[in-house]
Amino acid sequence: MQLIEETRMSQIAPPRFPKLAASLGERYTESDFERAFYRRDLASVPRVLEAMLARTTPHAVARPQNAEEVAALVQYAHAHHIPITPRAAATTVYWNSVPTRGGIVVDLNALRGVVSIDEEHLTATVQSATRWSELETALNRRGYATLSYPSSAPSATIGGWVNMEGHGIGSLKYGALTQQLQRLEIVLPNGEIFQATPESNPLLSWFVRAEGTLGIVTEIELAIRAKPEAIGNHWLAFSDVTALQRALVALATATPTPYSIHFSDAAHLRLLRDAGFETCQVFRNLTGLEPDTPQFQVLVTFDGSAQQVAAGAQTLKEVVARCAGETLDASLANLEWMERFASLRLKRAGPTLLGAEAWLPLNKLADYAADLARLTGAQRVPIATYGAVVTPTMTTVMSVFPSDESRTINYILDLSLTKKIYDVAFRHGGRPYGIGFWNAPYLHRAFASRELAERIARKRQLDPLNIMNPDKAYKPAFLLSPIFFDLGMDTLALARRAWSANR
Amino acid sequence: MNSFNTGIDHETLVCARCGYCQAVCPVYAALGWESTGPRGRIAIARQAARGAPLSLDHERRVYQCTLCGHCREVCPTRIDTCDLWLDLRGHLAAKGSIARWQLRVVRDNLLAQRNITGDVPENRLLWQQNLETEIPGLNLQPNTRVVYFVGCVAGLYPQTQGIPQALSQILAQAQISFTTLGSAEECCGFPLLGMGLEDIAADLARRKVARVKEIGASVLVAACPSCYHTWRDVYPHLLGEPHGLQIKHASEFLADLLTEQRLNPQPQETRVTYHDPCDLGRNSGIYDPPRQVLNAIPGLELVEMAEHREHALCCGGGGNMEVVDPDLVAAIARRRLAQALETGASFLVTPCQQCKRTLANAARAERTRLKVFDLNEFVWRTL
Ligand SMILES: Cc1cc2nc3c(=O)[nH]c(=O)nc-3n(C[C@H](O)[C@H](O)[C@H](O)COP(=O)(O)OP(=O)(O)OC[C@H]3O[C@@H](n4cnc5c(N)ncnc54)[C@H](O)[C@@H]3O)c2cc1C
Ligand code: SF4
Ligand code: SF4
Repeated sequence: MQLIEETRMSQIAPPRFPKLAASLGERYTESDFERAFYRRDLASVPRVLEAMLARTTPHAVARPQNAEEVAALVQYAHAHHIPITPRAAATTVYWNSVPTRGGIVVDLNALRGVVSIDEEHLTATVQSATRWSELETALNRRGYATLSYPSSAPSATIGGWVNMEGHGIGSLKYGALTQQLQRLEIVLPNGEIFQATPESNPLLSWFVRAEGTLGIVTEIELAIRAKPEAIGNHWLAFSDVTALQRALVALATATPTPYSIHFSDAAHLRLLRDAGFETCQVFRNLTGLEPDTPQFQVLVTFDGSAQQVAAGAQTLKEVVARCAGETLDASLANLEWMERFASLRLKRAGPTLLGAEAWLPLNKLADYAADLARLTGAQRVPIATYGAVVTPTMTTVMSVFPSDESRTINYILDLSLTKKIYDVAFRHGGRPYGIGFWNAPYLHRAFASRELAERIARKRQLDPLNIMNPDKAYKPAFLLSPIFFDLGMDTLALARRAWSANR
Repeated sequence: MNSFNTGIDHETLVCARCGYCQAVCPVYAALGWESTGPRGRIAIARQAARGAPLSLDHERRVYQCTLCGHCREVCPTRIDTCDLWLDLRGHLAAKGSIARWQLRVVRDNLLAQRNITGDVPENRLLWQQNLETEIPGLNLQPNTRVVYFVGCVAGLYPQTQGIPQALSQILAQAQISFTTLGSAEECCGFPLLGMGLEDIAADLARRKVARVKEIGASVLVAACPSCYHTWRDVYPHLLGEPHGLQIKHASEFLADLLTEQRLNPQPQETRVTYHDPCDLGRNSGIYDPPRQVLNAIPGLELVEMAEHREHALCCGGGGNMEVVDPDLVAAIARRRLAQALETGASFLVTPCQQCKRTLANAARAERTRLKVFDLNEFVWRTL
């Protein structure tokens, strides 16, 4: 770096964790400058709240590049009771990969790359921070493909999805990620390198959806498939939510099974228009979209052999006819498929987006939408909803609305609506999709008591010192205990409602 | 794909922090810290928008960017990131940042001699000294339809002077009547834009457009992708009106000449891989003409690198980064070179003098046998 006036770039102070500084060298930092970049994920949290609730700036950041380095680091942290936050692409929103007690952020992004592809057994072995898009490209080049991936595939890592919910594009046909996993290499909270398999003790399934609280995954072996010969995208419209639900239920259990089903409502299209995308194809072709027309769009994708794709088109035709749907232009369908990773386009309507994502019984979608419409009316807020059908009976559903984090008071009032949206989901059998720090107040609604107790027991067994991603997934922080949280959020929501009524 | 830049304040709020940009950024791939990728740079821009002071560490991260445009291509919120990076550099320039970095030398050269090296203007004619054939009317020939804009790097760096030599001889062989601005040529202003000094660049733009028009030319050919992009896409914005000139990249011009059979390349039984320069590909949308040129050479086998066209890896040479952090340029170039080597090609061809320099330096440092050529030089060898 050629700096004309040589200046000391950072203070020379003895490192807080000297052994790590020595062993990781340039891949370790305690610099104020670098650490500040690790205190955020997708969530926009007002500084006052952040300061009240947690210490989000880590004391150090380490970028290990193999399992041995991770193990040495974790052993050190274990010996000195230092909190560790595993962080991959940080595409989550619940502070899943944000520290709450300082400590060490383990930035896993140096563990990147496809290790091998086993063509005989149809499996791939990857380093844990390999992006889904990277794996897909590498597989496609050899005539293979992943079974499923999240709609954040351009950046989300495989290890990140293992640690989260693992449902996304392709899950309807091929099941949750957990069913595709053959082996995880994981550094346990005591620093031991453990090979988890469906038969190991503890079982591989313990480490799925663990949100980085039970260890650091360094390598993953997962099932792959031959690259599908053909793909068929279809874009459908439904004029009311009951018809939409009927069609989704029928499609989710149809033969052949669609590879992916994605739906969105008219409010979603309107937000896109507000975001400045009115010139895009979608609007040119969907003329006559009245502001209050309850209209829904569905993108259905079949893939596989040419025959299967043709059979899918036939099945779809029957469902559309039965459910009073309409088939939109095929070129639009292809366009929408190409935009499947761009749900965040909506953010331009914000500049901040707030909302909640729930895991919901598919046959409750219409009730959810009707209930949500009441919230929209009461709070005078344009809530847009979209989601993906990920099992024959369950869907993820994301309901979002525009806000502006730079107007702090209004923004804090708006934050209360996220709870209101979850409340709607709870009323219809839903639960939050992901826990982290921010959804911990809903833990008892997210898991049955026995399941939660079992998760807590696993945590106690594997991480008795609670160094691995503390304050996530098992227990809310004190100020987020349901009693304070519910009261606080409900009061704010009432205030917001009164405020919006007076505007 | 339309992208937006509504100003630093709004765009930094629009950024979703999804990290799609991070996954493709060559600087992040080389350095690895969150602060080194575009998502980190957005955080820095947010600080700037809030009026918070930026340290030298922040400034360094702003300049450690090749302006390759890859982040813009993948951004789901459609932020015109490259434009935003220029605004951010403008913000730093207004705070006197340039004086703190080696960039100052380039800026001062540009102000003094209107070229990046600080050479006297006459040195722009050095490349003309050992042409194989004499080309009449090569400098400032009035009433010539085509002006070949040579550019500072190709005109003034010995390592790349073969490029104007090759292109001018190709044009002569194809019996194209053309001229250059000779010693009166001045930098296109791209390095100034890269420092956020838009006003000075606008001044240069006005002077140059007037000079080309004095000659009576209607077509301007540039072999440098950055000059091409600047003339074609940035000048109308800087001037506040269209300049009325047809701007062609040399690869487009050569593709036309080959289609019209005004050039007759001899067979080359060899395997070649092609590197898309960022300013020609992602930043200008020109992918096919250079490939057409290579494919028009009989016997030549063109093999693509794993990542090409819109997804091509950057060579590291752009965005003024060479003056700020040459080691980083070298690290980025090594990664691209590795992809070229994977193809098993004997030649790596690229239509850009800067890509040629960075990749050839990498090939030398890695002691590979891969020969790195500019497209014009490569074509000239076949004629
Ligand atoms: C536009 C968009 C679309 C999305 N679509 C989907 C979707 O379709 N389905 C879905 O489920 N989610 C989705 N998500 C959420 C998120 O992208 C995924 O959960 C993703 O898999 C997270 O991966 P990551 O690499 O970003 O992990 P991070 O956010 O970095 O980490 C997530 C959690 O896993 C832990 N972790 C990460 N890597 C490791 C490791 N190697 N070992 C141990 N712990 C680790 C972290 O500590 C944290 O708790 C989406 C997000 C966005 C922004
Ligand atoms: S891709 Fe765009 S929205 Fe996502 S982090 Fe980068 S700049 Fe922000
Ligand atoms: S322009 Fe290129 S180098 Fe600069 S931030 Fe974007 S991807 Fe990185």
